[in-house]
Amino acid sequence: AEVEETLKRIQAHRGVVATIVVNAEGIPIRTTLDNSTTVQYAGLLHQLTMKARSTVRDIDPQNDLTFLRIRSKKHEIMVAPDKEYLLIVIQNPCE
Amino acid sequence: HGNPRSGRWEPAGPRPPLAAMFADGTAPGADVESLWRSARTARCEAKSCQTEQISTVETAAQSHTSRDAAVQADQSKDALQDFHQEVQVDYTSLLSFLQRVEDAVIKELNKNWKSRAFDGFEVNWTDQNEAVLCLHTLSYPEAQDQNLQVTSVSWNATGSVVACSYGRLDGGDWSTEKSYVCTWNLDRRGLNPQHPDLVVDVPSSVMCLAFHPSQPALIAGGLFSGELVVWDTSRTEDPVIWRTGMTDDTHTDPVYQVNWLPDTKHGNNSRLLSVSTDGKILVWREEQDGRLALAEGFAMVAQQIPRSTWLKKFTGGEAAVGVTSLSFSHFDHRVFIVGVEGGYSLKCSTAAETLALHPTRSSVPLRAPAELAFSPHGGPVYSVSCSPFHRQVNLFLSCGTDGQVHLHSMLQTQPLISLQLSKKYLFCVRWSPVRPLVFAAASGEGNCNKHFCFIGDVYLFDFEKSSQKPAISIKQAAGECPVYCLEFNIKQTQLLAAGDATGTVKVWQLSSDFTEQGPRELNRLEQLASEITD
Repeated sequence: AEVEETLKRIQAHRGVVATIVVNAEGIPIRTTLDNSTTVQYAGLLHQLTMKARSTVRDIDPQNDLTFLRIRSKKHEIMVAPDKEYLLIVIQNPCE
Repeated sequence: HGNPRSGRWEPAGPRPPLAAMFADGTAPGADVESLWRSARTARCEAKSCQTEQISTVETAAQSHTSRDAAVQADQSKDALQDFHQEVQVDYTSLLSFLQRVEDAVIKELNKNWKSRAFDGFEVNWTDQNEAVLCLHTLSYPEAQDQNLQVTSVSWNATGSVVACSYGRLDGGDWSTEKSYVCTWNLDRRGLNPQHPDLVVDVPSSVMCLAFHPSQPALIAGGLFSGELVVWDTSRTEDPVIWRTGMTDDTHTDPVYQVNWLPDTKHGNNSRLLSVSTDGKILVWREEQDGRLALAEGFAMVAQQIPRSTWLKKFTGGEAAVGVTSLSFSHFDHRVFIVGVEGGYSLKCSTAAETLALHPTRSSVPLRAPAELAFSPHGGPVYSVSCSPFHRQVNLFLSCGTDGQVHLHSMLQTQPLISLQLSKKYLFCVRWSPVRPLVFAAASGEGNCNKHFCFIGDVYLFDFEKSSQKPAISIKQAAGECPVYCLEFNIKQTQLLAAGDATGTVKVWQLSSDFTEQGPRELNRLEQLASEITD
């Protein structure tokens, strides 16, 4: 439905390699990758997001994590966190 | 007891006689019934049991027919739906979440696309070493005294042991020379380069070696006599565990290449594949009595090579086509490339059905696997290697005595790139296991400047730096020393072993630019593969 539309819009953006939606327990609920890779990304990034969030809040309890970006040699991983879900987008930036 | 009291106070009333106040007596003891402990027997009952006579019947069963069936789990097409069903998804909250984050994410994606912030920014995680060094120079003096050459090197599954086979590549048609297989464990302290950890005496010249891809102690070798032998280096007594022996099925020419194949049908056992100039490519399986038995086979016969315009003049007829090298595609395990003495490479498939018109008898019917012939070199092809990197358009390299390396795509007969690396023969070419654009080639004897020279070099070619000339050319040794074989170490990717004609194996440590994949390399490889097909 509209969920699929929104995800398709994000996926169709230039350079986007994959899109994954993860719930609060770290279980992927929507993905454009194969099962095993998705599960790997979901588990690892969920943990990293929790760690990043606790880092931000430890430094300043009034602050909170809004966005997480990891840049690697091959691509950029973007995580939009939320109370109940996590949106992971993997993009291959142009060069 | 019994002492008359002389108290300070006196009881009221008439005083009885003193003696009558106290009397000896015994009181019965007081018994307090235990509330919780009661005689066990009050709660227990005696019971007994006895197993009844077990009835037995003797029967025997014998299966006399069997059928091979394979079971394979199919890729689940419902993989996505699988985890949807387990997790209850609240679509309204999911939708509101997505609507909240969509704008931020799109903004970041756009920023990223236009960003120049990271251009040319690279991080060094490992120490950079700039030069190519020779880490070890390994040799076995006894073999060197007999003027034996290193015919093949192989690294084991863990990447810490290198084995080399001694033999002669120019032995001629008949050779009864003994040879050796030596292994050195490079990670051991007290490594003595002149003293191999294990030396196996072999009655015939060993032409090729291959370590098992997952069991670090098994090594297979192909002999000049056409036999295959498998040694177990962990056994000190007699390391030979399997051999083909000389049967009707054995190759009639030297075995130039041996490979381990994963055997998907029979669990974890691997099969051995051997390639020889008698035109046969045979697959062997292990039998209990230490024998290797023929499981399936292919034969290359000139008549059955797919014709192409430049092959018209080839009138081999039923002659066998001598196969010198083989390489399996990393992505489709049924497809393999062979290089033949006639100078061309062929694309073959293990799924081929047509029977080969090979003259020799064989216990298993031999099939003709060739599907496509690629355009030839100016001399026999000595080595082929399939790239482990490019998925769509399988790339492979072939090299031969014309000193050229051809980069082919499996889809077209003309090479994508044809490089004249040197004027000398090229004996071996291998892709780098980490950098998709790098390969190494070993050169040896040949004509340069109008005289025959034997100086051996290892060339490292990097398509990123140049498509015309090698990035580095490593001289194996001063003086005459053609390099016959080389192998990259898959586990320790900065190591390259090269064996030469003087009987030495040199382990080279490559500089970091040969061991770290650049950020755009796979794309460049794909570009390279497609740019000439236009």
